[in-house]
Amino acid sequence: MKHVRPGILDRELKKGSAELLVLSLVAHRPRHGYEIGKLIEARSEGRIRFKVASLYPLLYRLEERGWIDGRWVERAGERRRRFYRLTAAGRRVLTEQRSTWRSFVEAMARITGAEHA
Amino acid sequence: MRDWKPALRSRLSGLRLTPSREAEIIEELSQHLDDRYGELRRGGMADAEAHALALEDLDDHELLRREMQPLRQSSAPVPVVPGQTRVRLAADLWQDVTYATRMLSKHPGFTAAAVLTLALGIGANSAIFSLVNATLIRKLPVPASHELVYAFNTAIGGGVFSYPAYSALREATQTVNNLAAWGGITASLNADGETDLVAGNIVTGNFFETLGTTAATGRLLGPADDVTVGGHPVAVISDRLWRQRFGRRPDIVGHEVLLNGHVFTIVGVTRPEFFGPQVGVVRDLYVPMMMQAVMRPPRAGYSGDLNPDLLKNAGNSWLFTIGRLKPGQTPEQVSAELAGLFTTLARQLNPAITPRQVPVVRVDDGIPGQQDQLRRVALLLMGVVAAVLLIACANVANLLLSRAASRRRELAVRIAMGASRWRLMRQLLTESVLLSVLGGVLGVAVAWLVARGFEAAPPPAGALPIALDFAVDERVLLFTFLLSLLTGVVFGLGPAIAASRPSLVPALKDATGDQSVRQRRFGLKKMLVVTEVALSLVLLVAAGLFVRSVQSAYAIDPGFDADRLLSAPLNVNLLRYLRAQGRDFYQRVVDRMTALPGVQSASVARVALLSVGRTTSLLIEGRSGPNDTFVSSGTSTQANRNSILVNVVGPGFFETLGVPRNSGRDFSSTDLETSPRVVMINDAAAREHFPGVDPLGKRVSLSGPQGHWLEIVGTVRDSTYSALGETVRPVAYLPLSQNHETGVTLYVRATVPPGTLAAAVRREIQALEPNLPVPNIQTMEQTIGTSLYAPRMGAWLLTVFGGLALLLATIGVYGVLAYSTARRTREMGIRIALGAEARSVFGLIVREGMALVAMGIVAGIGIGWFTVRSLSGFLYGIEPTDAATFTVVTGVLAVVALAACLIPARRAMKVNPIVALRCD
Repeated sequence: MKHVRPGILDRELKKGSAELLVLSLVAHRPRHGYEIGKLIEARSEGRIRFKVASLYPLLYRLEERGWIDGRWVERAGERRRRFYRLTAAGRRVLTEQRSTWRSFVEAMARITGAEHA
Repeated sequence: MRDWKPALRSRLSGLRLTPSREAEIIEELSQHLDDRYGELRRGGMADAEAHALALEDLDDHELLRREMQPLRQSSAPVPVVPGQTRVRLAADLWQDVTYATRMLSKHPGFTAAAVLTLALGIGANSAIFSLVNATLIRKLPVPASHELVYAFNTAIGGGVFSYPAYSALREATQTVNNLAAWGGITASLNADGETDLVAGNIVTGNFFETLGTTAATGRLLGPADDVTVGGHPVAVISDRLWRQRFGRRPDIVGHEVLLNGHVFTIVGVTRPEFFGPQVGVVRDLYVPMMMQAVMRPPRAGYSGDLNPDLLKNAGNSWLFTIGRLKPGQTPEQVSAELAGLFTTLARQLNPAITPRQVPVVRVDDGIPGQQDQLRRVALLLMGVVAAVLLIACANVANLLLSRAASRRRELAVRIAMGASRWRLMRQLLTESVLLSVLGGVLGVAVAWLVARGFEAAPPPAGALPIALDFAVDERVLLFTFLLSLLTGVVFGLGPAIAASRPSLVPALKDATGDQSVRQRRFGLKKMLVVTEVALSLVLLVAAGLFVRSVQSAYAIDPGFDADRLLSAPLNVNLLRYLRAQGRDFYQRVVDRMTALPGVQSASVARVALLSVGRTTSLLIEGRSGPNDTFVSSGTSTQANRNSILVNVVGPGFFETLGVPRNSGRDFSSTDLETSPRVVMINDAAAREHFPGVDPLGKRVSLSGPQGHWLEIVGTVRDSTYSALGETVRPVAYLPLSQNHETGVTLYVRATVPPGTLAAAVRREIQALEPNLPVPNIQTMEQTIGTSLYAPRMGAWLLTVFGGLALLLATIGVYGVLAYSTARRTREMGIRIALGAEARSVFGLIVREGMALVAMGIVAGIGIGWFTVRSLSGFLYGIEPTDAATFTVVTGVLAVVALAACLIPARRAMKVNPIVALRCD
C-alpha cells in the first residue's frame, strides 16, 4: 500500500494509481527500486511516498504479471542493483491505463467542477 | 556498507521463499536501505538516527510479509549460492553430467586410455554374457514355456522311449496335456540338384501344438499329418534353412524336394526365433512320425531288407518326449504317474522288471546333464572375464588416483566454497560412471565384433555338444549397462573417497600437502597394482595350463596311426540300401580306393573314430549275467559294469588304422554269416574281464543270454574310441561280414598327404552312388582338431584374456612407477647431488617396482594354486598345479613387468639435480 499523507488523496484511489505510476516511470528507461521511489516522491512534491514494504512487493507483482522485467546490473565499485524495464505487455497496459485515467480524471473534473462552477 | 540482513530476514521469515530468492530480495532491499541511509547521512543526520530512520520504512513488521504473501516465487534460474545445501537430484545430476563431460573432454588422453581399457574389460564380459544368455539363460521361444516338461526314461542311456511306450504313456497319462515326441534325424536333402545333409526332427502330430509355436509361412505339421504309416510326405523347414538353402524363395510352400531319395512337399516354415524343442540344439527340418521308415530307419544292425518300422518296435528306444502340465500338476506328480504307467507297461514284456523311473523336468530348467557341463564352462569363462574387468578397474582407478592428485586444488576450492564431501564424491563418481558407460558402449561394439567373428568362423560340425549363439539382444544391452554402472562405482569409489578429503590449506596453496594423506593414497595405488599382477598371474597360469593341455592332447598316442589317414561317411542307410547292395557297395568303394594312386589300404567301420559310439552289455559264457539294464543303441552312457563299447569293422580295419594285434588272429574272409560268430576285443576288455586268463577261445554275448555267442579270436592294442585323453575303456570289435551295417565310415590310409586325396575320394564315391551326400571328407588331423575344438578354443580365449590381463597389469606397474618417480624427482635430485651413482638410483626405482610385482606374484601363486584346481575337468594329461606352467608364467610376467620398470627408472636416473632441487 502506498503511504499517503492524510487528507490529500483517497486511499482507494491511490491503490489503483500506484501501478500506473511505476509503469510510467520505467517506460523510457530502466530504473532501480530506490530511484523509482525517489522519483515518485519528487514529482508528487512529497505528496506521495512509497514505503519499502509496499514498493518492492508492487514491483515483484508487476514483474510476475510480466509487465516489467528486473535485471541485475553490476557497475564497477558498486553493489549490483536490480533495474526494472517495461516489457511489451507492460507498454500495452500502460497505454490502456493512461487513457482510462485520463477519461476518469476528466469525468471527475467535469462533475466536481460543474457543481462548484 | 551496513548489514541489513538480520532486520530483513526476520521480516521475510515465514514466507517460505526458496533460499536463493530470499537472498535476492534481501540483496535488493539492502541496496535500497543503503541508499536511504546514505541520503540521510548526507543530509547531516547522525549515524544511529539515519540507521533507525531507514529502518522505519520497514516499520510495520507485518506489512512486508502481507504484501509479499500473494506473490508466487520467482521463476528465474537459481544461481549457485556458496555454502548452501540443496536437494535437487535431477538438476544436480544433469549438472554433474555436463561438468563431467567437460572435465573428460578437457583430458582426451586420459579419457581415451580409461575408456579403451574399460571397453576391453566390459566388452569381454558382454561377449561371454551374450554366449551365456543365448545358451544358458535362453528359454524355448514358445508361449507359456513354464508349463512344458521333458520326461526321461532312465532305463536307457539318453532318456529315450520306444514309440509303443511313448504312445501308451500318451494315451494313459492324466497329468500331462498332449504328450509329444521327437527323434533326431539326419537327412539327405536333394533340392535343385544339390545334395547335402540336414539335421532335423521327426515329430508326432501334436508336436507343434504342444509347443504352441506357429508358422511364419505356410503351416506347421498337425495331427492330420500323423495318421497313415508312410502316407504323409510333407516337411516343415526352419527359417534358417529357408534363408540359407532356398534364398527365401517366396514359393517355398508347395516346393518339392528329395529327402533320403523320397519326394516330400514343403508345407511351411517355422518362425525365425524357433530353433527346436531343446535350447542349444538347432534343427532345420521337421517331418511327420508316420514317415519314420524312410526318414529315420533303425540305426544298429539295420539294412534295407529288414523291417524298418520302429513304430511297432518296443525294443528300440529313440524318442524324446515333451508335454504340457495340466493345471495344478507338478513335475513330481507327473513323474510319479508316468513311472507307474511305464513300469506296468514294461512288466507286460518282462514281469521280473524292477520299477521304472521317469524323471520329469521343466523345460525352462533345461536338460540336466547338458546344463551342468555348460554351466561349468560358462562359470569358468565368466570368472576369467570378471578377472580381466577387475584388472581394468584397478588400472582406471590408478589413473583416477593420479588425476585426483592434480585436481586437488580444484576440489579444495569447491570444499572451501562450501561443497559437501558427499557432493564432491557424487561429482567424482559421476565422472567414473560416465567413463564406464562410455566404455560399456564401446564394449557392446566389442561384443558385437566377437559375435560377428564367431559367425564368420563357426566351429566345425560336431565340435561342440550344443549350438552356440552370440546374439547381442536387449538382455545383453541391459547387462552391459548395469555392469558399466557397477564398474564405474567399483573403480571410482576408492579414488572418490580419497580425493574428496584433501587437506584444504596446502591444497589451496598448491603445496604438496599432508604427507600422510599422500602416503595413504599411494598405498592404495600400490595395492591395486599388486592385485592386478596377482590376477593376471592367475589368468596367465590358466591360459598356460590350457595351452599345455592342448599340446599334450595332440601328443597323446591315440593308439592308432593318425598320420596320412582320411575318412569319409558312407551314409547309405539314408538310401535304404539292401544288405546285398550295401555289402557290394562297400567292397566296390574299398576296391576303388585301393586302386587310387597314393592309397595304401582302405576299410570301413560302423562307429567313426572320435565320435559318440555305441555301448552294450557284455555277457560272458559261464558267468552270472548282467542285470536287466541292457543298453542297445544310441549313446555311450554306461549303464552297468559290464558295459562295453562296440564297433563293427570291415576287413583290413586294424591294418588300415595301424592298430597292432596283440594275440590271436584278425577277422578273415572265412568269417561268414554262416560260420561261427567271432569277436575281437581290446586289451582293456581283456584286462577287465579276463584278468590272468587267456581270453582267446572264450565265448561272450553282446545281446543278452538269448543272443549269439561270439568266440574271441583275437585281441588288439588299446586305442582311443570317442575322445582323445579319455580313460581307455573295453571295446569289442565285430566283423562286418557277420554283422552287416548300413551306413559306415570309410578310412583310407595314404602314402601321400591325405588332404590331396579328398577330391579323388569324393569323385570315386559319387561315381558309384550319385545320390549319396559326402559332406565332410576329413583327414584324421582335422578330425582330431575338431574333437579338440573346445579345448583349443578355450586355450585361445584364455591366452587372449591372459595376454590382455598381462598388458593391463604392465601398464599398471608402469603407471605407478612413473607417478612415484615423478613425485620423487626432488628426492632423486638430492640423492644425485649428494653423490649417488646413476646406477643406484636406477636400482632404487627398479627395486620399488619389482617389490610390487613380487608381492603380486606371491599372491597370484597363492590364489592360483587353489583356483586352478577347478580346471582339472578341462585339462588333458596335465595337472592343474603343474609346476612348469607356474614357473614359466611367473618368469614371463616378471620379465614383462621388469621392462615396465625400466622406463621410469631410466627417467629417474637422468634427473638433473639443479632442476629437481629448484622445483617444489
